Amino acid sequence: MKKLVFGLYALLTIALLIWGYYQAIYVAPLDERQGEIYRIFFYHVPIAMVSSVFFAVSLAGSIGYLAYRHSRPERAQIFDAWALAGAEVAVVYCTIILVTGPIWGRRAWGMWWTWDARLTTTLVLWLIYMSYLLLRRFAAGSQMQTVAAVLNIFGALDTPIVYFSTHFQKVIPTQHPAPVFGGGPDSGVKDPRMLAAWGWNLAAWLAWGLLILALRYHVERQQQTIEAAEAQRALEA
Amino acid sequence: MKKLALGLMIAVPLALLAWTAHFILSAPSYDWNVNPTPAQLDAAAALRDHLYMQAAYTVTWAIQLGYLAWLVMKWQAQKQ
Repeated sequence: MKKLVFGLYALLTIALLIWGYYQAIYVAPLDERQGEIYRIFFYHVPIAMVSSVFFAVSLAGSIGYLAYRHSRPERAQIFDAWALAGAEVAVVYCTIILVTGPIWGRRAWGMWWTWDARLTTTLVLWLIYMSYLLLRRFAAGSQMQTVAAVLNIFGALDTPIVYFSTHFQKVIPTQHPAPVFGGGPDSGVKDPRMLAAWGWNLAAWLAWGLLILALRYHVERQQQTIEAAEAQRALEA
Repeated sequence: MKKLALGLMIAVPLALLAWTAHFILSAPSYDWNVNPTPAQLDAAAALRDHLYMQAAYTVTWAIQLGYLAWLVMKWQAQKQ
């Protein structure tokens, strides 16, 4: 039954991704000012928005781990698996933002990169979570999970800074466009076909992200079981 | 059969990455013509837009499928 539900969900996700691509490339009209290059936004913006969901999952996982690590160790391991899975998927999404953004920037601004507030804070966020993942990969010992959870909580503080970095144009000048929603009078999607394409891609990338998040969580839980069994065997030997 | 599927899962993201590089590198450069006409400028800009957009979409899939391939490999290793 579980496999059937997973298979159906995976099929639905693939259908959503194909539909989202069709909407972005063939249905949404050309932008008057930017031409075809603006279609990058149909991937870049939804992926950026969805990435915050996975940063939040990771943060909640780390808080849960710290809260339960002494009282309920088994539950703490579940939270820790969510923290790691969320951080990994968030880093994948963040990597895409950092790659597709400069491709658009090269055409729109004439340069691949500029050290403005939005770009720099996003890069810092990516570096913090990469360091979290490297810590998880290479550090050993009983304190590793605790240290990683603390790093995760401090790293998550950068997430609102990334979002609000384009709101303080007078304080920190930025070239990056304002957020699609809640970014002031000029923000928002005016054409309903553009809005539809954007909405379908948001749903598709959220569905895809949840799929790989569930898969990563499953793999991590299995890894924890294997490590616990190995530790038990070592004790018995 | 399993090995073939796994091989494909690794090969596809790598091919997509190579494709992305091809799109970027094959876009017309900004100084390709010393005295371009406005029509030539527009045509070059449209082609550049198209190739860069394709590059962005392709690299997105390269990263997502690459990560999925890594996950499946890890899962397979655990089963063994």
